[in-house]
Amino acid sequence: MKKKMDKLLFVTVVLLSLFGLIMIYSASSIWADYKFGDSFHYFKYQAIFICLGFLVLFITSKIPYQKYYEKANQILFLCFILLVLVLIPGIGSIRNGSRSWFGIGPLGIQPSEAAKLGLIIFTSKYLSNSNKFLKSYKKGVFPILGITILFFGLIMLQPDLGTGLILVVSIISLLFVAGVNMKFFLGMGLLGFVGVVILILIAPYRMDRITSFIDPWSDALGTGFQIIQSLYAIGPGGLLGTGFLHSIQKHFYLPEPQTDFIFSIIAEEFGVVGAFIVVGLFSMLLFRGIKIATHTKDSFSKYLSFGMVFQIIFQTLMNLMVVIGMIPVTGVTLPFLSYGGSSLLISMVSIGILLNISKS
Amino acid sequence: MFFKKIDERIKVLFLIMLLLFVFIILRVFYIQIVDYKKLNQYASNLWSRDLPIEANRGLILDRNGVVLADNLTTTSLVLIPNQIKNKEETTKRLAEILNVSYDEMKKHVYKKTSIERVHPEGRRLPYDIAEKISALEMDGVYLVKEAKRYYPYGNMLSHTLGYVGIDNQGLSGLELQYDKYLTGKSGAIKYFSDAKGNQLNLSDLYVEPQSGMNLTLTIDINIQKAIERELNNIVDMFSPDMALALVMDPNTGEILGMGSRPDYNPNTYQDYSQEVLSRNLPIWSSYEPGSTFKIITMSTAVEEKVVDLEKDHFYDSGSVNVEGSVLKCWKAGGHGEQTFLQVLQNSCNPGFVKLGQMLGKETLFDYINKFGFGSKTGVDLNGEGEGIIFNLDKVGNVELSTTAFGQGVSVTPIQQVTAVSAVVNGGNLYEPYVVKSISENETNTLLKENKKKLVRKVISKETSDIMKHALESVVAKGGGKAAYIEGYRIGGKTGTAQKVKDGKYLVGNYIMSFMAVVPSNDPKAVLYLAIDNPKNTALLSSYTTTPIARRLLLDIIDALDIPKQSGGLEKDLEWTDKIMYQVPNVVGKTVKEAKKKLTNFTVEYTGTGNRVVSQSPAAGEKLEEKGVVRLLIE
Repeated sequence: MKKKMDKLLFVTVVLLSLFGLIMIYSASSIWADYKFGDSFHYFKYQAIFICLGFLVLFITSKIPYQKYYEKANQILFLCFILLVLVLIPGIGSIRNGSRSWFGIGPLGIQPSEAAKLGLIIFTSKYLSNSNKFLKSYKKGVFPILGITILFFGLIMLQPDLGTGLILVVSIISLLFVAGVNMKFFLGMGLLGFVGVVILILIAPYRMDRITSFIDPWSDALGTGFQIIQSLYAIGPGGLLGTGFLHSIQKHFYLPEPQTDFIFSIIAEEFGVVGAFIVVGLFSMLLFRGIKIATHTKDSFSKYLSFGMVFQIIFQTLMNLMVVIGMIPVTGVTLPFLSYGGSSLLISMVSIGILLNISKS
Repeated sequence: MFFKKIDERIKVLFLIMLLLFVFIILRVFYIQIVDYKKLNQYASNLWSRDLPIEANRGLILDRNGVVLADNLTTTSLVLIPNQIKNKEETTKRLAEILNVSYDEMKKHVYKKTSIERVHPEGRRLPYDIAEKISALEMDGVYLVKEAKRYYPYGNMLSHTLGYVGIDNQGLSGLELQYDKYLTGKSGAIKYFSDAKGNQLNLSDLYVEPQSGMNLTLTIDINIQKAIERELNNIVDMFSPDMALALVMDPNTGEILGMGSRPDYNPNTYQDYSQEVLSRNLPIWSSYEPGSTFKIITMSTAVEEKVVDLEKDHFYDSGSVNVEGSVLKCWKAGGHGEQTFLQVLQNSCNPGFVKLGQMLGKETLFDYINKFGFGSKTGVDLNGEGEGIIFNLDKVGNVELSTTAFGQGVSVTPIQQVTAVSAVVNGGNLYEPYVVKSISENETNTLLKENKKKLVRKVISKETSDIMKHALESVVAKGGGKAAYIEGYRIGGKTGTAQKVKDGKYLVGNYIMSFMAVVPSNDPKAVLYLAIDNPKNTALLSSYTTTPIARRLLLDIIDALDIPKQSGGLEKDLEWTDKIMYQVPNVVGKTVKEAKKKLTNFTVEYTGTGNRVVSQSPAAGEKLEEKGVVRLLIE
């Protein structure tokens, strides 16, 4: 039977993108003027990304989602190749200390963003085929976990802990939804803990991030710097905010405020109202996404739609909790709102696929 | 069935995520409400740069409002390097105006700092230089106010006022003791800047500096000026080791003036030794008082009714033997037969030995304690001494006897003045003080006002009246004659004390002192003057301190506007004294009659005629023999 596209979801995404665009202008104008002599620099690029984003959204919403089922293996293989290529010096370029980018002129493409979606598609296909094996770890869980850890490893070589975490957690959430035994997650939690300890032992700066999240003022100019600057934006904004364009923290206090910490500037300029708008829109996105997932009739589309929604929301939660000082700094962007092309395009693709699923 | 289970698990995750969203909103609420104040404070410290504006220190004023400790306002140059757009030009112009090398100025202009005080070239700038800099109107160049303490009267009252350090902080005297009141609160021009130091387009905040509180003293500048003048004279005439003077209002305990030598200039306190700086002699020094202490012994004797000053007699043979110790009177051969009033007038030591023995040690020492000796008076100044009084257990007859005429005890000037004030004010011992009030600078509202504080009642009003008369008689008829002022009733007592060093009396080394009350019938001021080891003078206080005390008393009379009194005791004449006659009333008389009445005087006329219309001086005034009386005739 033929259903209508989920218009509410679409409107939510439009609102998020436009609000993001406006706030990117406000947050970045000072920095852009200083760096490029053009206060609209980031605004212009983001506007282009948004146009492109909606273009791919329309295209993907027309492509029957069953196509991804058929091409899942190829997509995953392509993602794998890209993740390997980006690690090679000369092909991948370094930004902010991570070799995560294919630089094309002033633009950059992050293959790890594509890999997040690619792995969701593959896992959805895998789970919809092997529900009966899931009781057996060896035949059901371990192979898909192995692939996930391989991807995680590749991403950690860049390194990009935030993206890696999102990738792992969204696959585990899919396993949970698919009905893997609870004991398994207990084991995973233990493994995760050991993993974190190992990661900290490899790079002790990660420990600093944790301590600085507990008391950012213990190292105000070092590891606690970003959290403090973020709190200096949110707190003084007060309930009503300083008003649009009137952020003080964007004046070089908060580094690159148009990316990871855009929510700080929103809360500074619009107070708790701004926070309500952002959280409200994401809640709506979550709600519509979950509704689509629970209304599907085949397991592939159910896993796929849930996986994509979960991934977007999980990333949102991680970003917001970093910004308000609830978890250590991990370096993930806020979907739709933060400046950045790759992330926006992949999010738009996800929404496009969701919209297509909602129609069927 | 299978899908249902998946959907359930999806919904579980959905709820968890929704809950986290709620949590995030609550956390933002928390940050913006509960943490708001703290974060806002921290953040504005981060955003704002302060151009400091130094506050004026509170003034110190005399009781009439004359400024004793003032502030000089100067301007200093401050740069905010990040705001300076044309650094080369700014460096060049400032170097020219301040007359320093380009390279020297460059260090300041190019310095990587938020605010640069141009030190020392740019501090305390003369007016014309400041004008030139201000005329430049350049970005990032500021002139800020700096205040500097200034004592307009130099050395005057220096020990009491104290002095301040380089940052205007009180280091000594009242400046130190009342530092927290006198210190103002610095203000600032707060401007907001971005993280790179550029000024943000937000309005600057002007935080007004708050001047410190003003201190009004009980000191009267005219009396103080007289004290300083006479102390200078004393130094010139006698080159003493030390000299001091103290004037108190006996009815309140207010100190009207105090000073000592050696002294210092608080504007340049660094040039003096710590000893000179720290010793405020009228409250710190402690020595044998000598005969001025006899006032206390006599008051006690009168109060205890062991003696009637007019009726009881004493025969002074020139010395008295107390348990084998021979205590001599200062006058060889003694004063012979005297009333006890004459014993005081003559300052006769054996007479006081007699009084001491009649009182007994318990009674005398009880009164000495009650008069406040042996403990601090509680004056509101730092560095007060306590003096030393014999421990009652160790007082034998000899100690009792010497104490009675002022030897063997050690007291401070302020103790003596406070005690004598009680003797003449009706018997009330008040706590002395020098700070009258503390008030806010701008509104002049009183923050604190010191009032007279009764310590205890020591003697009765009747005893006090008898003592006032007795002290007046000392000046009119006894050893204080040189302090006599025609038309005013002055009470007083001289003192000459031998100095003790290592348990022995020094030969020819005395502290000479004079205690005076004016007027003695209704005391308005008690004066104490002491000169330590005066050179080139007779070794009797009557000839050294008393004439100086007289000059001080004249100034006190003037400053306090004390009217002439009648009914005073006539002075016993000495051969050096001029004879004074009362001028009779001749107004309305014929010239002939007038001339007859004015035979003691030189008469001068103005006008023509035969009848006197007015005369100068007026009838009743006293005039020396052959003094000029002017008559207007018609």
